[in-house]
Parts: sequence; C-alpha cells; structure tokens
Amino acid sequence: MNQYFLTKESQELVPFPHILEFAFKKSNTVQFDSLKKNVSEFLRFYYVVDGRLSWVIDGNHCILYPGDLAVILPGQIFGGERDLMEPGTVFWIEIQLGLERQDGRLSLGKWCLFTENECRAISRVLFSNNSPVVSKFREAGNILQTMQAEFQSQEIGFTTRINQLLHDLIILTTRHLTSQNSSRRDFPQSFIKLEQTLRDNLSHQWTVDEMAVLMALGATAFSERVKNFTGFSPLNYLINIRISEAIKLLKQSDRSVTDIALEVGFYSSQHFATTFKKLTGYTPSEFRKNNNDN
Amino acid sequence: MNCIITVEIGTGAIRVAAFDLQGNMLGTSKGAYPTFHIKPDFSEQDPEQIFITMLYILKNFLNEKIYPNGYKVHRVCFSSAMHSVLPIDRKGVPLGKAMVWSDNRAKNEAAQLRSIELGHLLYQTTGTPIHAMSPLNKITWLKNNEPDRFNDSSKFLSIKTYIIHQLTGEYVIDFSVASATGLMNIHTTKWEPAALKYAGITESSLPDLVPIFYSPKLKKEYQVSLGLPDDVKILVGSSDGCMATLGAGVYDDGKATVTLEESGAVRVIGKQILQDKNERLFNYLLTEGIYVSGGPTNNAGSVFEWFATQFGDFKKAFDLEDCMDTLIFDAGKVRPGAEGLIFLPYLQGERAPIWNANARGVYFGLNIKHEQKHMVRATIEGILYAIYSIGKTLQEHLAITDLTANGTFASFPLWTQMMADVFNKPVRIKQGPGADSVAVGSFLVSATEIGLYKSLDEAAATVELPDTYMPDTDVHAAYMKHFRIFEKLAVKLKDEFDDIADLQHENR
Repeated sequence: MNQYFLTKESQELVPFPHILEFAFKKSNTVQFDSLKKNVSEFLRFYYVVDGRLSWVIDGNHCILYPGDLAVILPGQIFGGERDLMEPGTVFWIEIQLGLERQDGRLSLGKWCLFTENECRAISRVLFSNNSPVVSKFREAGNILQTMQAEFQSQEIGFTTRINQLLHDLIILTTRHLTSQNSSRRDFPQSFIKLEQTLRDNLSHQWTVDEMAVLMALGATAFSERVKNFTGFSPLNYLINIRISEAIKLLKQSDRSVTDIALEVGFYSSQHFATTFKKLTGYTPSEFRKNNNDN
Repeated sequence: MNCIITVEIGTGAIRVAAFDLQGNMLGTSKGAYPTFHIKPDFSEQDPEQIFITMLYILKNFLNEKIYPNGYKVHRVCFSSAMHSVLPIDRKGVPLGKAMVWSDNRAKNEAAQLRSIELGHLLYQTTGTPIHAMSPLNKITWLKNNEPDRFNDSSKFLSIKTYIIHQLTGEYVIDFSVASATGLMNIHTTKWEPAALKYAGITESSLPDLVPIFYSPKLKKEYQVSLGLPDDVKILVGSSDGCMATLGAGVYDDGKATVTLEESGAVRVIGKQILQDKNERLFNYLLTEGIYVSGGPTNNAGSVFEWFATQFGDFKKAFDLEDCMDTLIFDAGKVRPGAEGLIFLPYLQGERAPIWNANARGVYFGLNIKHEQKHMVRATIEGILYAIYSIGKTLQEHLAITDLTANGTFASFPLWTQMMADVFNKPVRIKQGPGADSVAVGSFLVSATEIGLYKSLDEAAATVELPDTYMPDTDVHAAYMKHFRIFEKLAVKLKDEFDDIADLQHENR
C-alpha cells in the first residue's frame, strides 16, 4: 500500500477527537507544491521510513534520513526546503493540543494520562529543545506502524491501544531528545547548561523532575549526582541561586522586596524573608539598609 | 571542647573542615558553584553565589556536625584561590562577576608587559610571573578594554576580600593572596608603586594589606545566625597554594610538595626568594620573610578528566569516578614508558616551566600496536613529566631530597608510585580522610595563632604523612629515556604550537 490517509472526516478517527491526521505516504517522484511552508497549529510528528528529505522546521534547515523523527511544535513554520516533497516514505500524525496561557505548557486534553508534573517536564523538553529532529529513532517507526495496523484492524481494545501508543511516542521522543542533548558523560558541562536555564527562568516553580529531565536523568539519579557534585540537593542548590540573585537585586536597585522575591522565584515575600534571614541572619530590608550604610 | 573551622574558597567549591585542638579532623563539607565562560578566555564566578554557598555550607556543617557533638568554635580560618579580581563601585556593589585565576583574557596585556624592561623588574619585585592570570594584567585589561567599568570601580578586590568584607565590613587582603597579584612588593610587603602606576590605579583602589593572622571583627548578625560564640576569631588566612604547602609539612630545606588537583604545582618553602633568570618560578609570601616558591601547571587532573570523559566507558550516566578508576586499572597493565608513546599534556596552554599559552596536546610516537590502555598510561605519564619538568627547574636553584604529595589525583596509588619513579625520590603522602592539605595548613595557621605552636615552622613539623612510595631505579631510568624526548618536543614544537593556536583561534 502506497498511501494510508486519515483525516478529521474519517470514520476511524471518530473515537479520537485529539488526532487530527494520521498518514502513511510513499511517493516515487517529486511532488511539487505538496509541502508548502506554513504555520503548524498543533503538535506534529513526521517519521522518515525511506528517502532523503530537505525540510525547514522553525527556521532550521534539516536533512532527514530514514529513522529520523521531526517534531513540529504549535506555532512553528514547517515545510519542504523548496515547498516540495521529495521521493520518500513518511508517517505523520497531528495531535490537537493547546498551550496553557500562563506557563506555555502543553495541555494535552482528556485522553492524556500524564500527571501534571510529567506534562510540565515534557513541555519543557520539547520547548527548550533547539534541534527539531530526533535521529536514529526506529522505535518511533515501529510505534507508528503498529498504530496504523490498529486503525486498520479495529480489533477489540484498539482505542485504548492507540492512545497508549501515542503516550509511548511522546515519552520516548522526550527521552531521546534529552539524551541526544546530553552526552551523559560530562556532568559539569551539562550541569552548567542546566544552571543557565534555571537562571534564565528563575521565577518558574521548578520541580526536581523538570530539572532531571533536562539532564536526561531520572529524578533519583539526578538528585544523587547533583548532591555529589555540588554538595546540595537540587532544590537547595536552586535556593542558593535565588538568594544570590536576590542579593544582587537588593544591592543594585530600589525595587520592592516583594517584587524581588517574586522575580527570583519565591512564592511570597514572607517565604523569601524567612529563607533569607535563616541563611544570612538579616531580613532582606535589613540587609539592604546595612549595605547602603557602608 | 574548642575546635577550629577552616574555610577554603576554592576554584569551584567552598570546602569547610573542622579540627580539634590536637589537629584531628572532625569532619568536612563542600558546596560547589559554577565558573561561567561567556566568551573564549573568560572565566568568571558570581561573588554573591560564592558568599551564599559559603554561608549555607558553613551553617549546615556547624549545626549538623559540630554543635551536636559539643564543640565550640574557637577560630575560623580562611584560605582561597589566588589571582581573582572583582571590581566594586563606590557603594561596594560588585561591577559584574569576578575574574578567576584561569581567566585568560589579559594574555595580550601580559605579552606586552613581558616584552618591556618594566616586566622583568616587576617579576623581581613582585615575585609573580608576568602572565594573564595575574591581577596586575587583569586590571590593565579592564583599563584598556572596558574603560567605563574601570572608571566606575572604586576598588579591585580578591574574592576572599569580598567575602571577608561581607562578614566583617573590612576591606583586607592577606600577604599571601596579595603576593600573587603582581601588585605587591614581596621584599617590603607594600603595594609596588611601579605596578600600580602601570595598571593605572592607586593604593586606595586596593584593599589594606594584612598579615595572614589578622583577625577582623565578625558582624554580630552573622555571629548570631551561625551560632558562633562572642569570643570567636576570624583569621583572614592565606592562599590555597601556600596552605597546601604548609599542610604538606614542607618547611625545611630540601623538602618539596607536589599538588595534583585539576591544575597542579610543585612548591618549596624557604627564607630565600628564587630569582630565576628565565622568570619561570613564582615566589609568594606565606608570611613575612617566608616564601613559597615553585611552578604551576594548567594541565593535571583536568587533562585526565578530559581523557576519561571522551574515551572512557561510562557504565552509569555521568559516573566519572568509576570511569577513571577503570582507566587507571588498565594503565597499570602497561609497562612504564607506554611502549614508546609520549604525551604532551598542554591542552590548556602551559605555565611553568615553558610559559607558553599557545602550547597544545600531542601524542607522539603512536604505532599500530598501541591500544587504548597505552594511551591512558601515556596520558598519566605525560601529566607527571610536566610536573617533573617543574621539579627539575626548581632543582636548578636548590636540592630537593624529600618529596610529599597531595590532592585528588596524587592520591591514586598508581599515580603516587609513578611520581616516585619519575622523580626517583621517595614520595610521602597521607591518603584517605584528613588528607586535605589546604585544610591542614589552615589548621596549623590557626593553632600557631592561638599559641599551640611557637611558630609555623614548628607547626609544619607535626604533619604526619604515613604512606611512603619508594622509587624503583630501573623504572626511573626507563622514564628518563622518554622524558628526554618529552622535554625536547615541548620546546622544539614552539613554532608549530603558535601556528596551530592561530588556526584554532581563526576557527572559533
């Protein structure tokens, strides 16, 4: 079969309101104007079974080879390098999801079994990732192939199975992306990247899971490595950075203590004041006054 | 029971330790902070993060390990890495981050100063080799490249000065750290006017010079929040290098110590300044009239960690220790000399004795029979040849009969034995807990200040190093055959080092 194409109108997709498109396509010739660059509204995965495809994803010029998976996020521009589809075989799937306004988190809808923490961690990986292609990712091909078989057979339990496979696809993509971005060899280097990310998003309420996933580690292994390397638990290390930044702001600006507390990631000025005093012996206002007197 | 706390403000971490008054180590703790490299050659640290890390670690350490065991803190003695520069404004607020010892941005300033007569004069008066690491050149860099920040600066501090100021309100710098700035005259222990003039600053832009035993008064708030007694004394202490030398028990003629951490050094202590005509050795002040002399290398543990990171087998994610242990085990299976494979470890340029920022790493003599284990062996041997070449330079000035070793990488038994064989001298070391010689040195300074010892000399004599590695003369002879080639290559490749450094510079 050279083509398998499900759209919103297809009967097979009725039990899956969140799947907008599922397709398998094999073409032996160049298909002109069949892959024009446009803004993708939702999350899309393209898996290359065969061929050598030149695509533009979010401004990145990518060449995809068999076994590669392209991840296209909501709002990104995607299309063929010359708006055409080169000879090749691809799977794709488009999933309807929104973005939480507040924190830019993916909201996946009712079918989704991820916990809130997992959702945050997955969103963080997808959005902080700067390479849209996961290479050498045959499992993705197997998952999509199994999905197609399930759509076609419609045997008992197929709805659940397809949703399970979709979860698998998202989880494995996230894991591959993180280990692709981290060699799992050079801890100091990976850790400094993480530190930079934390500093750039200090007001975000980080969880250990979210930090761990950025270093391609499980939460336990991550906490152990961080403790070993820095002497601090991940959350205490984060408090260190928060207080250091707060000290800088207290010294350099006239901004209110509450403003500073929120900016560096404490959830209230009381929380900030207590932590600050416990560590330094001063309340933030005393510290500022003391410093100005010098 | 009284105890002494030592606080080391190191290159990448705060290390605190506690000792009872007999010198037994009661416990240690550490907290790390990052070094930021926002541009090539830039190495910076956040002074506030260092301060908070120090408070955090110290406070937890006291509350968890010291107070519950009934100890009362009698002295807190500081030490720190050398060569850092932190400009502050008129209100005492840091103007950006601190440049740390490894910051290399002032390399052109250093080359410039080395080429004029004043450079030679300043080496003789300040004891600091003319190099990008030296605060003299870093401040000159600021003047030349960031005139606004330079003009806004009311003072140029060391990181330790900043931390001590936070705690006490005083801007002070001890003789040891000051003697590594290239700005202090080591003969008079005053700021050197010629150096200040060259950097475009005056004495008022620098902290007050104080002896290592100087004790500024701790602010009440910190005393209370740390739970320290009213009569506790803060000692400004010395530099990590000087403390490590003292803590290794080196004080008499003929004794030298090798430190192998990320970087490394060979050092001696004496009453004499070693005036090296090629300006290869530093002379820092431990205290008035007592000099720590020697040479530093950029490429010690960091090079082995590089090798392990690139080529080791990581069975567990990020488990570098395990990976290094396996590599060292493999290296032990190869005969000394690595079957004719020689490694120049100059991955980060080199300081003593060749002082060539453009030097680069070289594997020399590779043949088809060499395996990974030979490369591991050659890597370790190369690091030790570089250390030996510093020792050899020192021996042009004095005889070394007794060698001690300290630092993470010196503590691997294979490395310690190789060091004994390369130097053809017994190497004494203390392995395991209580072996941190910077902390031991800081304890000895405190104990001397209290009056437990009459002098640092007497204090140093109490250091016990129970493990001795004896050299094997035949192995030494094998190493020397390779070292002769190593030594020639290090000099012979100078032009090619310059060329390749240029190419690498263009490519980045």
